[in-house]
Amino acid sequence: MLVVGAGCAGMRAAIEALDEGADVALLSKIHPVRSHSGAAEGGINAALGNASEDDPEKHAFDTVKGSDYLGDQDSIQVLCDEAPDDVYQLENWGAVFSRTDEGRIAQRPFGAAGEPRTAYAADITGHVLVHVLYEQVMKRDIPTYEEFFAWKLVIHEDRCQGVIAWDLLNGGLKTIGAKTVILATGGAGRLYTGTTNAYACTGDGMSMALHVGVPLKDMEMMQFHPTTLAPTGILITEGCRGEGAYLLNSEGDRFLKRYAPNAMELASRDVISRAEQTEIDEGRGIDGNVLLDLRHLGADKINDRLHGTRELSLTYAGVDPINEPIPVRPGAHYHMGGVDTDVDGLTSMTGLYAAGECACISVHGANRLGGNALMETITFGKRAGRAAAEWALTHTTVSVPPSVEADSERELRALLDRTDGERPWAIRDELALTMHENFGVFRREEQMLEQGRIVEGLRERYKRVLVDDKGDIFNSDLTQALELGFLLDLAECMIVAGLARKESRGAHARPHDYPDRDDANFLRHTMTTIDSGGRVQLDWKPVTMTKWQPQERKY
Amino acid sequence: MSLTESLVRSEYATMTVALKIWRFDAATGERELRDYELEAPEWACLLDVLDLIKDKVDGTLAYRKSCRMMICGSCGMRMDGRAVLACKERMKPIVDRGHVPVISAMGNLPIVRDLVVDMGPFWNKIKAVKPWLDPGYDEVAEKERIVSQQAMNVIHKEALCIMCGCCVSECNSMESDPDFLGPAALAKGFRMVGDPRDQAEVERLNDLNEEHGIWDCTRCYFCNERCPKGVDPRDAIAKLGAESVKQGIDHDMGAKHAKWFVTSAKTTGWLRETELVPKTQGVVSAIKEAKFALKLLRRGKVPLPFPPHVAEGVEESRALYDLVKTQDRRGALGIVQGERALAKIDQEHPEGSGSGWGSRAQADITPGERPTRGKGGEA
Repeated sequence: MLVVGAGCAGMRAAIEALDEGADVALLSKIHPVRSHSGAAEGGINAALGNASEDDPEKHAFDTVKGSDYLGDQDSIQVLCDEAPDDVYQLENWGAVFSRTDEGRIAQRPFGAAGEPRTAYAADITGHVLVHVLYEQVMKRDIPTYEEFFAWKLVIHEDRCQGVIAWDLLNGGLKTIGAKTVILATGGAGRLYTGTTNAYACTGDGMSMALHVGVPLKDMEMMQFHPTTLAPTGILITEGCRGEGAYLLNSEGDRFLKRYAPNAMELASRDVISRAEQTEIDEGRGIDGNVLLDLRHLGADKINDRLHGTRELSLTYAGVDPINEPIPVRPGAHYHMGGVDTDVDGLTSMTGLYAAGECACISVHGANRLGGNALMETITFGKRAGRAAAEWALTHTTVSVPPSVEADSERELRALLDRTDGERPWAIRDELALTMHENFGVFRREEQMLEQGRIVEGLRERYKRVLVDDKGDIFNSDLTQALELGFLLDLAECMIVAGLARKESRGAHARPHDYPDRDDANFLRHTMTTIDSGGRVQLDWKPVTMTKWQPQERKY
Repeated sequence: MSLTESLVRSEYATMTVALKIWRFDAATGERELRDYELEAPEWACLLDVLDLIKDKVDGTLAYRKSCRMMICGSCGMRMDGRAVLACKERMKPIVDRGHVPVISAMGNLPIVRDLVVDMGPFWNKIKAVKPWLDPGYDEVAEKERIVSQQAMNVIHKEALCIMCGCCVSECNSMESDPDFLGPAALAKGFRMVGDPRDQAEVERLNDLNEEHGIWDCTRCYFCNERCPKGVDPRDAIAKLGAESVKQGIDHDMGAKHAKWFVTSAKTTGWLRETELVPKTQGVVSAIKEAKFALKLLRRGKVPLPFPPHVAEGVEESRALYDLVKTQDRRGALGIVQGERALAKIDQEHPEGSGSGWGSRAQADITPGERPTRGKGGEA
């Protein structure tokens, strides 16, 4: 079996699969430790109860409420129940967590969490987890196709039987057959100009699944993180606010008192991003930013627990948070939507699984809580790894018809042989700028329609995209062009889903035409697929409710 | 101006950036230094400039990138001959002083193409130090192990390593001995040795004391100087040396050499050069060098071993020895090897502050003890 993507979810899946006895390999377009999971800063949520009385029920309720009731409650229950043991497992493997005075794993308050539940390693939690997982991958000697760019899924006899990938170091398309394939390719933040996401976050797995008929769920749900640096969107962790930082407008006012009087800076991300954007739009911003003030925390706390944040702020904003507030703004951060799966990561296609940000199980619904993403990668990476291993161990054959390879080869050659056309960068930049403009924190009907037309035009232009580099060795010009194709597919799904959801829920805010949540009509998931003509089709799927009925959501 | 407006307009002041890039064509084996000049926003870092070149000037330029925020470790390369992360280097100050930097691939690793190196040898060395925790038992614990923050702080810096390879690129020892494990792998080695939860300390130290191990470091400090994350690999190597000597693992000449320096300091206050060779290399080897030694003696280059040449202020030297010995890892055991390290201890970790360098001995559990079971807070 094959795991595509080697961040936290992918590596956790591969480890579990190997321990279950499967013959498993990892495949990733970048080396595993380069994965964007490593950029997660604040922490990982599990009801360990090390900082207060806590239990998985409270964690589940906070997550359900945070999701604006769009999260599937059975999945959320699984996540919250299994989270503590999964975190202990990471600690046993050697994760360098920060510690309480009693020597237990330390936990800090995080947005919209009723208890201090976010286990952390200073402000480099993701980095620590990526490295501990890679240590375990090395220990098990799991074969890894490093710098292999997965491009297409192989579907044969109605099940997924492998992946076609471009070998970056040596060139050439390679077909890797597998009884089961797990997609763990992460998010698609590169759809936006201001994003916390790495260059690698181009939604590859989501797009590959879409192209083999697997539906994408809740694609309109893109989370904007409230604290990112101008101009490129580098992440400043929610851990700052967890440690007590304030958000101020140009008048020096803690403006959240008007939006979330109880939780203030620890309200959920969608609420704070909208508050910031409102302040900025109404003229109380500073060059399109608000201010994140850490000064009262003092140099010691900043250096001990927010060292990485200080480093980022100094390098990219020229601001030392010990002495000055950091200018921040909302930036695209996390895709709640993704490949539709069940609680074991299985998609609608036999043999195809998904885990991590590229999947939509859905535990985050319309808004993810900080600290729940890392937890999701671990718990559902593990579960997908186990389920995919079980299936692979009980089924025998893999076959990839030669025609599949030949078709891909032909398509790729057509792209490489093109000598006249448009370089990808203008299409990419226009996509990212217009998505920010028309499908950002706030959404309007006419802007979404306009964005639909823009994306259609960009897709037309993309048909003539020109790759400068015709060589075989480390041809990142080629892979970046292919990534742009993935992004364009996803943008279209997001717009179709966004137009269909005529309400305001979580990250999908339509204050001008549908300002309220509409449970009667839209307490359900959007499902997007593409038809044989390449057009996006929309469908709906009910939300799984167990014990929590929707309530008004206030912080 | 709203967020979207400011983004869409992208009205940032620009500057003209000039740089030279060593291109390498893997197919033909040709190297060429090419000039580039382009407009870039004033906030641009080196990586942004490379992106602009790739987009608008020459799509064939090859380099690695991903996070652009100093955490993924992809974009290690050389600027004017020194290893940097391209995403960390702001171009404005360089442009302001009219400098035209030369960009090239990292050193000590085979070049694949342009700025891309083959990281295979790098990862093989990381794997060679068995970089995974050995807790001394196989079963999965039900809860976390109890370890103090102070005990975990021992490996704080080594845990920051992003495996970018900048230290390896600059390593002088590796240049002369390509099999030298190198700063990144040895820092990872200390990440494991220094972890109070690890049970394989002695085995690890024995491995790291082999040829191409810790004693082959020339102590040039380039790795400390060039590490973009403050890991200070040379300090990690020093800590491994100290830990080895403490565990009685001193079969390597390097260890013996270091020990003799310490003995010299506490006995005579001078380096006892005459005995250095027999103490380090052994008697047989020393006899082979006897002719050379006599020559040195005749020229007055070394003192006679007897009577011992004792320094005037030897009491001071002995007191210093006693002092650093009581300071544990921060003192005699090796961390204080460079002035930078010393300065850091002075400024950041005043005596008794309770933060900073702890030691395994200070851990409040026996390292690797089976985790306590039961509800949180009871242990």
